[in-house]
Amino acid sequence: MNYQQMAIPPRSEHLWRYTPWPRIHPSSIDEVPIAADVIFSLEGRESFETIPQAADNFDDIARSFLHATGSSCHRMVISGQSDPIHINARASGHIAVGHLELEVKDSAVVFIHISGEPEWVGLHITGKIHPNAHLSFGFINELDSNSKFLRCEDWTVERDAELEHATLSVGGFRCKSDMRTTLNGTGASIRQSITVNAIGARHDDEHVEIQHLHGHTYSNLVMNSACGGSSHFIGTGLLTITEGADKSDASQVFRNLLLSEKARAEAIPELEVLADDVSAAHGAASAPIDRNQMHYLMSRGLNPQEAQSMIVHGFLLNAFSNLTNKCLIEEMRTRLTVHLECELRR
Amino acid sequence: MAEEILRIENLHVSVEGTAILKGVNLIIHRGEIHAIMGRNGAGKSTLANVVMGHPAYVITEGRIFYQGQPLENLAVFERARAGMFLSFQYPAAIPGVQVGTFLKKSVASVRDEPPKGREFRKELTAAMEQLAMDKSFLSRYVNDGFSGGEKKRLEILQMLLLQPNLALLDETDSGLDIDALRIVAKGINEVAVDSACLIITHYQRLLDLVKPHFVHAMMDGVIVQTGGPELALELEDRGYDWLDMAV
Repeated sequence: MNYQQMAIPPRSEHLWRYTPWPRIHPSSIDEVPIAADVIFSLEGRESFETIPQAADNFDDIARSFLHATGSSCHRMVISGQSDPIHINARASGHIAVGHLELEVKDSAVVFIHISGEPEWVGLHITGKIHPNAHLSFGFINELDSNSKFLRCEDWTVERDAELEHATLSVGGFRCKSDMRTTLNGTGASIRQSITVNAIGARHDDEHVEIQHLHGHTYSNLVMNSACGGSSHFIGTGLLTITEGADKSDASQVFRNLLLSEKARAEAIPELEVLADDVSAAHGAASAPIDRNQMHYLMSRGLNPQEAQSMIVHGFLLNAFSNLTNKCLIEEMRTRLTVHLECELRR
Repeated sequence: MAEEILRIENLHVSVEGTAILKGVNLIIHRGEIHAIMGRNGAGKSTLANVVMGHPAYVITEGRIFYQGQPLENLAVFERARAGMFLSFQYPAAIPGVQVGTFLKKSVASVRDEPPKGREFRKELTAAMEQLAMDKSFLSRYVNDGFSGGEKKRLEILQMLLLQPNLALLDETDSGLDIDALRIVAKGINEVAVDSACLIITHYQRLLDLVKPHFVHAMMDGVIVQTGGPELALELEDRGYDWLDMAV
């Protein structure tokens, strides 16, 4: 079924409740507009191959739409240990779409940095982590504050492979992410952290699905957002432990810091457990800044703005505390710090 | 006569409509160490918090002066910049904020001139060595996952770096083993030489190591007895019931 044949998902569907498809589609929903390519460039020696897209066998409207725009797919196979790979994804013009396919056969650290000033940009990333391989993946969204952004990701983590996945979302006016990971072999694991700084009137909707298909698999998801102005953040997570995936361990924590009276945040963690012997946990909290934290910092000489800024900075950085790769953590921290310092100067 | 650092006159304080302090009077001069002892709920911590300007406490009557100036119009951070310091009984954890970053920012805020990198590192290393603190402390998050003793050491480390004119120490001895207590007491004694110091404690053991010039017994929101170090020994020996009778 192609995009034109698909029904518009109703808002009763969990995924589309807060950012319905018509709000993230770039034009009229019946249309498949002409899209420019997102320009991918690499810092270093690695290179992409450009391949035609696979056939549309998606049952999801967002992926099917991105496929229908027809842009080419960039593919990278990482088979030996290397220095961190930095991929710059540059979007411009009215509508831009990019497809990226990663295949990791060893140990790798990959960063994708998306920037530019398009009206609308869509990105579909697929990744396969081969048995016993390890990928540390950082995604940094620094799009212009007027851009709309649709991002879909599909990851498969094979037996004894590990994926560390970090997102820093600070750009774009309206963002919708749908990230899905399948733990496809015994011992597969994912640690995922998402940090969102929602300022002004930003709308950021981050959806994560993790499926434990086999036993002895591990997932850990942390999502922290700081919401100021009249921004709206939505974090939804669905962890599924399928039948027979015993001894799996799944956890997810959502924390939202509300910095203004008009800011809104939704945190909806869901667990679907069909196996008997598992460990599964989830938690969510939304609250303003703790006044005892403010008082403590002010009692050490920081004025209220400095104290708030330090608490927000720490809160957002803390989302990366479930990661283990030092290079990944350092890069994400640095990007966040630079972003917050720039924001302070504005 | 040494400079008057803190003057509290007929202080009445309430929290959420409940009166906690009911007429406290106290004067502390530079170089003096005062200790306040009393039962749980007597108002000791309230006194320290209200002097530091915690927003939950409302002054309903009376005044506080710091170096001759009324405190009511000074915000919390202005009090800190003026040289006031509170070592918290339960210091707040700030996840994601590294101790090193926090200390540098705090010292830069309180001192007139921000410290230079190398000089600050030297000063910090010396203070940490004095308190037998490992350098790994600096990369941990402020009070996040700290033991009771680690929190108290961090409070004293801050005091050593900030060199306050007035140090309010709210149960700094609780949660410390005897070795840690000695180390912390050494730090307090160093700062106390040239500042005014108010120690809130339940126990005599800290006062064996930090000799107070004055000891005050507080009951039900007022100071009911003032004496020298011998009063602390008497309270330790006899408890607080005899004060009920005396009052």
